[in-house]
Amino acid sequence: MGFTTALGTLAFIEPWILAALAVLPVIWWLLRATPPAPRRQSFPAIRLLFGLKPPEETPARTPWWLVLLRLVIAALVILALARPILNPDDAVSEAGLVVVVVDDGWASAANWDGKRQALDDILAEAERKNASVRLLLTAPGTDGSPPALSAVMTAGEARAQLQGLTPKPWSVDRAAATEALASLPATPRPRFFWAADGLDDGNGELFAQTMAALGATTRLAPPVAAKLLRPVDSDERALVVTLERAEDRGEDLAVAVALRDDGREVGRLPLTFDAGENLASGRLELPLELRNAVGRIVLEGQATAGGALLLDERARRRPVGLVDDSGAGSSQPLLSELFYVERALAPFAEITRAPLAQLLKQPLAVVVLPDHGTLAPEDLQALDSFMANGGLVLRFAGPKLGANPDTLLPVKLRGGDRTLGGVMTWDRPARITIFDAGSPFAGLAIPQDVVVNRQVLAEPALDLSEKTWARLSDGTPLVTAEARGKGLLVLFHTTANTDWSNLALSGLFVEMLTRTVETASGVTAVGDGEALPPYLLLDGFGKLGEPAASVLPLTGAELAAGAIGPDHPPGYYGSQTGRRAFNLEQAIDSLAPLPSVAGVSERGYARSAEQDLKAPLLAAALLLALLDLLLGLWLRGLLPGRRLAAGAGGLVLALLLFPAPGARAADDDSFALLATLDTRLAFVETGDDRVDEISRAGLTGLSRILERRTSIEPGDPLGVDLERDEIVFFPLLYWPVTDSQPALSEAARRKVNGFLATGGTILFDLRDPAGGSQLSSATTALQRLADGLDIPPLAPLPPEHVLTKAFYLMQDFPGRYAGGQLWIDSSESGANDGVATVIIGSNDWAAAWAVDSNGRSLYAVVPEGESQREMAYRFGVNLVMYALTGNYKADQVHVPFILERLGQ
Amino acid sequence: MAPPATPSLQLEAERLAGGLPPLLVEARRIAETVAQGAHGRRRVGPGEAFWQFRPYVAGDRPQTIDWRTSAKNDTIFVREMEWAAAATVYLWRDPTASMTWRSDKALPSKRDRADMLLLALASLLLRGGERVALLAPGERPRIGRGALPALAARLERDAAADGAALAAAALPPPQPLPRHARAVVIGDFLSPLPEIEARLAVLARRGVAGQLLLLLDPAETALPFQGRVRFEGLEGEGNWLVPRVEKLREAYIERERAHEAGLADICRALGWRLQRHLTNQPASQALLELYLGLSDGWDRRR
Repeated sequence: MGFTTALGTLAFIEPWILAALAVLPVIWWLLRATPPAPRRQSFPAIRLLFGLKPPEETPARTPWWLVLLRLVIAALVILALARPILNPDDAVSEAGLVVVVVDDGWASAANWDGKRQALDDILAEAERKNASVRLLLTAPGTDGSPPALSAVMTAGEARAQLQGLTPKPWSVDRAAATEALASLPATPRPRFFWAADGLDDGNGELFAQTMAALGATTRLAPPVAAKLLRPVDSDERALVVTLERAEDRGEDLAVAVALRDDGREVGRLPLTFDAGENLASGRLELPLELRNAVGRIVLEGQATAGGALLLDERARRRPVGLVDDSGAGSSQPLLSELFYVERALAPFAEITRAPLAQLLKQPLAVVVLPDHGTLAPEDLQALDSFMANGGLVLRFAGPKLGANPDTLLPVKLRGGDRTLGGVMTWDRPARITIFDAGSPFAGLAIPQDVVVNRQVLAEPALDLSEKTWARLSDGTPLVTAEARGKGLLVLFHTTANTDWSNLALSGLFVEMLTRTVETASGVTAVGDGEALPPYLLLDGFGKLGEPAASVLPLTGAELAAGAIGPDHPPGYYGSQTGRRAFNLEQAIDSLAPLPSVAGVSERGYARSAEQDLKAPLLAAALLLALLDLLLGLWLRGLLPGRRLAAGAGGLVLALLLFPAPGARAADDDSFALLATLDTRLAFVETGDDRVDEISRAGLTGLSRILERRTSIEPGDPLGVDLERDEIVFFPLLYWPVTDSQPALSEAARRKVNGFLATGGTILFDLRDPAGGSQLSSATTALQRLADGLDIPPLAPLPPEHVLTKAFYLMQDFPGRYAGGQLWIDSSESGANDGVATVIIGSNDWAAAWAVDSNGRSLYAVVPEGESQREMAYRFGVNLVMYALTGNYKADQVHVPFILERLGQ
Repeated sequence: MAPPATPSLQLEAERLAGGLPPLLVEARRIAETVAQGAHGRRRVGPGEAFWQFRPYVAGDRPQTIDWRTSAKNDTIFVREMEWAAAATVYLWRDPTASMTWRSDKALPSKRDRADMLLLALASLLLRGGERVALLAPGERPRIGRGALPALAARLERDAAADGAALAAAALPPPQPLPRHARAVVIGDFLSPLPEIEARLAVLARRGVAGQLLLLLDPAETALPFQGRVRFEGLEGEGNWLVPRVEKLREAYIERERAHEAGLADICRALGWRLQRHLTNQPASQALLELYLGLSDGWDRRR
């Protein structure tokens, strides 16, 4: 059953369930008739309730909107059970044969998820229509088997198989796939879906024609065909990367990323295809040490084997061998020449320390020979042949060479060495002059503090200046070099340690050695003769992993031929010490797009618009049912936070309806004016009306006393809401502590801290004669309220404190109760004129001060009665004096001592 | 150690172990906060506080003559002391099931608060040398600090007793009190006003001054419930279904006020003092008011 709606075509898989909708009116009637169950509540004062009826008699029925909600839930469930489908797809006919052809070669990895999703949609449709399915994978299997049609299976099995499918890191074999199609029987007439990779391997057209001849064929074309990275040429300064695409799609930008072996990014190179060009190349310029660290280059956004280019030693490494005849037990390793060379070269080159004979057995680019005794003839011969093959020999002079010059030298040396700036010579130690333009060291900065004290001298010769790479200020050569065969022989005329020169300590030494090593040619890595075992191989997505057991070793011939396939996937072959990159691109001459073929319809991966509405409908029904539950609880008054929720809801509504800031601004001004035009005492509104009333009455009483006895003429006291009002105007804040006051919000806390920091004083009144003990609930409440406030360390009020003499002399501070300990800010800082920011007591002063409108006291004071009330007032006067006038009384106390010291 | 079987057993065990039940300790703690003074009888008699000087008349003992005052005057003065004497205070609190109710777990039940106030007041009075008695059949006035644990035990016994047996005890027993005794009754007084009046009238028959502390849960004054609620009485009064409590709230509060006003009228007629205390208010406040109310009575007789 299907019909068209505004959204698209809607069809029901099981339309007969819709008949259940007819029951809805019955449900309506049932729901209307049943009121919600009442909540049971025990209540002692029930006698007062007997006979009370609500003013209007509302029928005890479920409200209509709740019934409607429940009906909607029922209707949604019925609709969901009928399994509606929006925009049903009819590409697959009922009970036919569907052949799904998947190109699972390297190029398909680029759009693998889209491809798999598109195929899954098709198979889901086939599943609904009970079509049988056969799969054809066009790439050879990992075991080397050619592409073959699978057995007939259900669409469900095919979906499961498809989910487990991964692309192969080699190319598809469409010729073999065409042969596989031949085994397909003519009936039932197959329906082909070909998830193509978009690249032609030469047989694409034939393959498509074969399919089209057998049955209706749809080709799912990827949005973008895979691109292929071509090999890297490294020149002196940069890695050159080339990227190839199959199809000219105008200008296109891709990004190649150079990674180290551990996967860290070293550099990025944007590559732009010009319109009409299918090759894009770029130069990635990197410092040498970073360039040497590059292990592979990958194409961003295209995880395929063709988008990963592996580099091996040919591209980078310059192994350096240090000739070390001393053995392991050198007594002074820090003075050894090799130490300096090794430290200088270690970041840039791979270094091996070994005796000469051992060194020359392994591939090396550079051999470093420190000052060495006479070389044996066979060593000389070995070094000669090393240089003839392109090696570089770097020698350092020293006392031994000066004494016994041999033949392995770029220039002829005079016997002995030359000392500059020694005890017996007149001249000073020599500096290095600017390098010639032709020298490899050209352009290096020369530090002024590098001096050479001793060197070996070259015999003057015609070609001496040509061979010289660096010279001293007096023109004598410091570094000389000579080409030997394909290689080079370089001599530093001084030592590699600090014996003859402090050159080895300078940064220049490092740069000179680096440049020297750079001039050496690299080594050809592992030999071409023997077969190489697989070491690390790329998978279809261009990730390196352990090789499968079925992969065979790679012979030189296969390496040269680029025989990429199931036997030899792309990757590294060899071992950790010597590995050879085998890249996919070696097997691919050029990329070409698939031609379009008559009879084959094309479409993209766009997901078919078909949508199963069952799950969303059921989810909506569940959500509505939850809402219904909450509403039911709310109606019965069972929601725990109902007042909270109602308050929050009201607040939100109020915020929505009235933009508060404008209204607030006027309020703020009036409050500020009210608070500042008169000096006022202020108290914190706790939210407990009774306590607030006592506070107000108390401060009123205190204000009257102040007016009568002192020069302070305060206005009527103000209650402040810490969350709402600005408190910075008040010198003194009376804060009765109650259990019920909620903890402060972050903003209020900041406000109070600001108040304390800018000179305000707060009197906390625990109003509890037992207050101050750890168990008192008032103490707990105070801890809760003061949490996060900058309360300084407190101490019992010292007997000589200003508070005891600010106006009246007194030692006890009774309020309504007597005897509570008064705690006060004990810090002796001079800030805030020495006025304590926090005073804490428990005597309920406000109740003692409290008067009614006729000026009569409101609360009894225990135990002393009126005399105690008088003392309470005196404390109030002292407190206000203290808050307003600071500690000048304390200063007065010292006047006699000051006068005495002044000698009066 | 196995956990105690019931809360009352546990309480008993604690009482035995500690000598004082926690209730008593709390009551004493609160009582500590109200310092009390010995009250005189405001008339001449044996005592320690100076009361007045009076001219000497024949028959006075020479030892009573205050020589210092007499030396300043022509007449001879005798120094008289104030008669300090103990009074008996009868205490009662409602032991019925309705008192064990509380609207919120954070609040004490009315029963707990009443017991605590009663014991604290008793502790204060005993320390002041007064005689204290529970207003119950067979209870005799007690004196001295040792009386407090006995009182506490008696209250505990009430608590452990079956609620049904106590249902009739929602008001103080109609027991005539001796002249010049004082009575303090604590309860929720939710019974019909005529019944209350009849009982209190018996108590006050011989001019006994008293105080009535109306102890209520905040929910009983505000009816903070919502929605459809079936209210059930705690003492077998039956139940009452209210479709929308919030609609009834104002009418209820009005009734409750009227009930309190009726109570106030009764007390005024008897010369008793009525105080209202909610369980969410500090106990020390109510205690102070009660204690001051007792002293106040003596003050007025001045």
